[in-house]
Amino acid sequence: MSTTVTAVGLVGAAAPVTRRVRAYFAPVNRAAGAPTVFDAAQMGTFALNAPPVPWVDLGWCTKFARKSETKIGALTTGAPAVVQSQVVTQMEATVQLEFESWGKLQLALAAGSQQMNLLQTATGAAANGSGGTAAQAVPLAAGSGSTATSLNVGAAAVAQFQVGQLVSVDEDYVAQVGFVGSGVSAAYVSSPASVGGDINYIRRVSLNVGRVVSIANGALQLGAPLLAGAPPSGMQVSPLMGFVDREGGGFFQEWSGLFVMDGEQGDRVIYHYPRLQAMQGSAEVAEALAGPLEKMKLAGAFRALPVKDANDGEMVLCFRSYLPGAMRAV
Amino acid sequence: MQNARDTFYVTLRDRLAAVNPARTMVLRGVVRPGVLVEENELASAAVPVNAFCLRWTGLSVDAQGPLPLAAMTCEISYATDGDSGNGGMDRGRLLSAMDAELVAAVSAAPQSVTKRNYVGAAAGSGLAPVAMGTNVFWGDAAFGAAVVNGERLERVAVVEVFCYQEAGEL
Repeated sequence: MSTTVTAVGLVGAAAPVTRRVRAYFAPVNRAAGAPTVFDAAQMGTFALNAPPVPWVDLGWCTKFARKSETKIGALTTGAPAVVQSQVVTQMEATVQLEFESWGKLQLALAAGSQQMNLLQTATGAAANGSGGTAAQAVPLAAGSGSTATSLNVGAAAVAQFQVGQLVSVDEDYVAQVGFVGSGVSAAYVSSPASVGGDINYIRRVSLNVGRVVSIANGALQLGAPLLAGAPPSGMQVSPLMGFVDREGGGFFQEWSGLFVMDGEQGDRVIYHYPRLQAMQGSAEVAEALAGPLEKMKLAGAFRALPVKDANDGEMVLCFRSYLPGAMRAV
Repeated sequence: MQNARDTFYVTLRDRLAAVNPARTMVLRGVVRPGVLVEENELASAAVPVNAFCLRWTGLSVDAQGPLPLAAMTCEISYATDGDSGNGGMDRGRLLSAMDAELVAAVSAAPQSVTKRNYVGAAAGSGLAPVAMGTNVFWGDAAFGAAVVNGERLERVAVVEVFCYQEAGEL
């Protein structure tokens, strides 16, 4: 067996030409203040449809616009004053985009505050803007062996569910104080009284939701894995009708964001924001199709918060990585 | 730019053949996928039906970057008389099927492919085309109106095709 080595000249490094942006989301451990770190040196070439764990695909985005609000001031001395040096006087960065998909995660990220689940209400529940008193949740069977895509609720309880139903899977609220929600911190509870001691409150705000696609042997099969992975048997399942967010509210969601632009010449640009918080309330943008038809797109605007780079201790807001195409001049 | 045109044609031909292997045509006695490049065939006044006919029209070159970026306009015309067994009454459905095949071929990801040089592979030499250093990429198809020409339905779609002109490439 012989090996043939062909000399190939370098190709000029043309500016990346891209079509659109793919967005990904990963949780921030709010209690520990630990974001999800993306290492472009190790994971930068991942296939867009298969992001590395724990990143979750948010789909395509358009109108991606990142803005550096970092201010640099001049240090002047003498008379007349002469600029002798420069200093960074303020660090700030923002990101804006429009989601091409609507889903729980996209809604949650584009909401200014808590993004809630419209839990199926109890019979005769009083009307309420974000959903009335929820119906009793269904517990997972003890030692059930439920997984991230299969919820074993038992042969008797499974009759309460239907294929196509949405469900929220999370623990009961029993006077927890602080960040709540499995997988992702979905809200902050300051006191049991503030949520009326509602046993379903965590399931009401949880991002740990799924769609039932089939029912068999006492188990609900979900169309996609739950964000928090396999649920412990103490969790319960609440059917839900949809999602609701509100103008107002004092909770700032925080998450790690990743935005990838694939260039047409095999190059790739990656923007990694370890800590992002929404900087506006829920908003949509109407895009005219034809006649009276309009496409409604979720509009998100986010502000980046700083992290410390372990390599040199610098505080930074965003990492922009560039992976050149093969045999490009650098 | 010829390499980019050849590459785009072969890519489109292969994708269309994968979408609908049954769309074939007989050209100079040979059965082949129903795609041709007009300028590569004998001049003819006849409009091939139930096939895609590529015609290269516009060209512009942006020479400001490290490599000249060429933008070429490819018009893809196609027509159908319908199935004679159905008295041509299915001509709308057949044109719609060709629309869908073109969408599937042009818009399927990735909308780019490595540029290849087919000069050495021409004339049945048996040699493989030579991969070059840049990609050919293109936009989505823009569809013109369906035109009624007697009993025939015709449409022209336009695709903008881009390529970088590599050093020494003609």
